[in-house]
Amino acid sequence: MGVLPGHVPTIAELKPGVMTVHEGTDVSKYFVSSGFAFIHANSVADVIAVEAVPVDHLDSNLVQKGLAEFTQKLGSASTDLEKAEAQIGVDVYSAMNSALTG
Amino acid sequence: MASAGAAGPFWRAAGMTYVSYSNKCASMVRNCLKEPHRSEALDREKVHFSISKWIDGKPEKPCKFLIFFLLSSPPFFLLGFLFIE
Repeated sequence: MGVLPGHVPTIAELKPGVMTVHEGTDVSKYFVSSGFAFIHANSVADVIAVEAVPVDHLDSNLVQKGLAEFTQKLGSASTDLEKAEAQIGVDVYSAMNSALTG
Repeated sequence: MASAGAAGPFWRAAGMTYVSYSNKCASMVRNCLKEPHRSEALDREKVHFSISKWIDGKPEKPCKFLIFFLLSSPPFFLLGFLFIE
């Protein structure tokens, strides 16, 4: 989803992933842990997130380890809650992985 | 988008609230940061709170005729809030 001035007012729930900000010709990428994006009628856009870090702050070894750990937890999870947590882990870590490699 | 009749996102179906989901995602991201940023972020994760039981004067189980009064009083409300997480 891309947002330019004049975008329709929107409230969007964000999944863990990369948000790219273009300021003139500068492009900065941030990894957003989850949150919401509000685009208002006056073309102001707000992004609310608990954690939003520049992609260079992510350590790829830790991401790989975490992905392996949660994939393994997903396989061995028994209760619904454990499965949900493991699935969240897999989603977040795979998103970080694609942010680093993509 | 979600199909009609779906109970929403998988974590909601498993009983998790959006706040817990969002906080878990954030803590996973914090754990993957490179060093100087990591300790700053983990500091942000610390939560300080204190819990107290009210016994004399404001019992946890209110007497019938005091119910509406206690529900509106701050201590009861705060206690409720702390246990929700």
